[in-house]
Amino acid sequence: MRKLLKLVAGAAFVTALCSGAAAAQALFWSTQAKPVEEAQKMRDIVLKGFPGGVDYQPSDDGPWLTRLQAEIQAGKGTIAVLGALHGSFSSMSGDLVDLSDIKLGDVHVNDQYRQLAKLGTSEQKYLPWMQATYIMAANKKALEFLPQGADINALTYDQLIEWAKNIADKTGSPKFGFPAGPEGLKHRFFQGFLLPSYTKSMVTKFRSPEAEAGWGKFKELWQYTNPASTTYAFMQQPLLSEEVWVAFDHVARLADAFNQKPADFVAFPVPAGPAGRGFMPVIAGIGIPKTAPDTQKSKELVAWMMKPETQIATLRATNFFPVVDVKLPDDMPNSVKVSGPAIAAQTGAKDAVPALLPTGLGNLGGKFNQIYNDTFERIILGGQDIRPALDEQAKALKALIDQAKAPCWQPDPVSQGACPVD
Amino acid sequence: MTAVTNDVPAVPATVTDARKAGSGLMIACIVVLCVWVLLPIYLLLVNALSSPAEVTSFPKRIIPSFDFGSLSFFLNFQGVGKALWNSVAVALLTMVLSIGIGAPAGYALSRFDFPGKEAFRFLVLMTRAFPLPLLALPLAVLFIRTGLDDTAFGLAIVHTTLSLPFAVLITFSLFSGIPVELEEAAWTLGCNRWQAFRKVVLPLALPGIAASAVFAFTISWNEVFAAAVLTIENRTLTAFLLQSINVSPLYLKFAGGAALVVPALIFIFAVRRYLFAMWGIANR
Repeated sequence: MRKLLKLVAGAAFVTALCSGAAAAQALFWSTQAKPVEEAQKMRDIVLKGFPGGVDYQPSDDGPWLTRLQAEIQAGKGTIAVLGALHGSFSSMSGDLVDLSDIKLGDVHVNDQYRQLAKLGTSEQKYLPWMQATYIMAANKKALEFLPQGADINALTYDQLIEWAKNIADKTGSPKFGFPAGPEGLKHRFFQGFLLPSYTKSMVTKFRSPEAEAGWGKFKELWQYTNPASTTYAFMQQPLLSEEVWVAFDHVARLADAFNQKPADFVAFPVPAGPAGRGFMPVIAGIGIPKTAPDTQKSKELVAWMMKPETQIATLRATNFFPVVDVKLPDDMPNSVKVSGPAIAAQTGAKDAVPALLPTGLGNLGGKFNQIYNDTFERIILGGQDIRPALDEQAKALKALIDQAKAPCWQPDPVSQGACPVD
Repeated sequence: MTAVTNDVPAVPATVTDARKAGSGLMIACIVVLCVWVLLPIYLLLVNALSSPAEVTSFPKRIIPSFDFGSLSFFLNFQGVGKALWNSVAVALLTMVLSIGIGAPAGYALSRFDFPGKEAFRFLVLMTRAFPLPLLALPLAVLFIRTGLDDTAFGLAIVHTTLSLPFAVLITFSLFSGIPVELEEAAWTLGCNRWQAFRKVVLPLALPGIAASAVFAFTISWNEVFAAAVLTIENRTLTAFLLQSINVSPLYLKFAGGAALVVPALIFIFAVRRYLFAMWGIANR
């Protein structure tokens, strides 16, 4: 036993001595491309050629923000470049280096996104990095059950419900799928798709009669939804195993299905409601914290990420699409070939209602999502009446928005002060 | 007591029946407990050793196909080896620190009377009352300023704080279970205080100390949040993998789970002798 103790103490001591040495790679601190395979590709393909090397570290939002805040408070940092969604940057405007002077050569970045990335200031707080959205996917077997006269590229929620009902009736089991598991992105569906399609709003009209109607429709759709949906995180799995024939999810979370069996699946735009075709563009950006150890090096890395070839490599690695003008080569993965046209049809639709990711909430973002998830659980899973549930959740939403003092974001109209909840 | 004659069964029939039933119940309990512990580990290993297609298919195979695709993905995953080593190093340091600090505190609590003893016992537990996400920010700021940031030692200090209450309380009850008369006897036979502790108390307490050390090891091994915030280059395995695994495909979840569980299992297997010995003490 004493031998063992001595051995243990010795090993620990040696380790404590050794751990001081650190490599001088640029640290890329990211909340995106977290799944192990994506992180692997980011390291092996996308970032491999950068001179000096990059240490790509994806992490959850909590540790990501805590670490960053700690470095800013300490006034000394190791993070060279930040990668995160637009909403994460919007709360830290003062701690980011101005990127206006970055040399991008003849690369043309999407102007709308670039404007958004100024966060309402005159400085370029971050640069758009990549974009994605959520779409629908269906097994081709489901197509024969489409309601009469329905155009798959311009579905309405009513038609989707009828379609799901047809499939359930004809095949004997519900086959619509929805990522309602703990790791699923269901809150984005309510925030960016269901509510905007019925109310043209995410926050202000949270408890309006139109919202009530929208939840009612979703309740109808839920009858024809595979009950295992409450365990799904990535819809590509149940699509591949054919537990589910029609599904909604993030493009990156459907990619495996399209890649493995491109002939079996179709991708198509999300359905529209009375107020339009609500959808949520997802914009990720890259920025540099003021505490970066070598700002010049960080800027070089940002410029590297914006190069067309890097953007294409990023698309291959993460299924997030480029934000710069670039011609995609012919040998792109099937997921890109299948989902690309659906995304284009969705963003270009005449009745499109783009709904941005929540901004200005800071570290209350998780609680904001929780309100939508709670509403879902009460109305759909708990079977509570829609009106009282919405009224109560609206109180929580109002308290949270007031606490964050967050002004409205698209599609809600610009507000003076905190975004109102009617 | 009555004498038992040879032609009468030593024990009446109903008693043998009851005893049989009792041992049957005992065996059933043992089986249930074993299944309770082993089945999840078994399923984890079977799925980790299956190909991706088999993981999503149903019914499951009882014996895995020994497809090492998912596991070798992890072994080749850049930085896993280093992260594994960091995890072991931090866990070992935590173990040494929490026993080095916790065992003397436990001994003092059980042997000496001092003002504020009850308050101290309560305060020791209080360190677990604050959620780590709350503490992580000021800790990280402090660590960056003092240069402890991103070192195995720095993280081990945090993990020691987490495991210390258990180390103190376990060793406290351990030392309390060893009669003070044994020590006193050693003193009368010429030992000084330290010698009596080392030659009499320590050998008796060692298995229990080892058990609380194992506990410290697992607490450190499983901790994610502080590790994710306080280490960058020297990430631990949990910080490195756990956040990525929960958004990865199912077959990689199983393989990653196995990669996280197996080293801890091996460690506990290696020290099992001391764990069993501690239960021996408890039975006495």
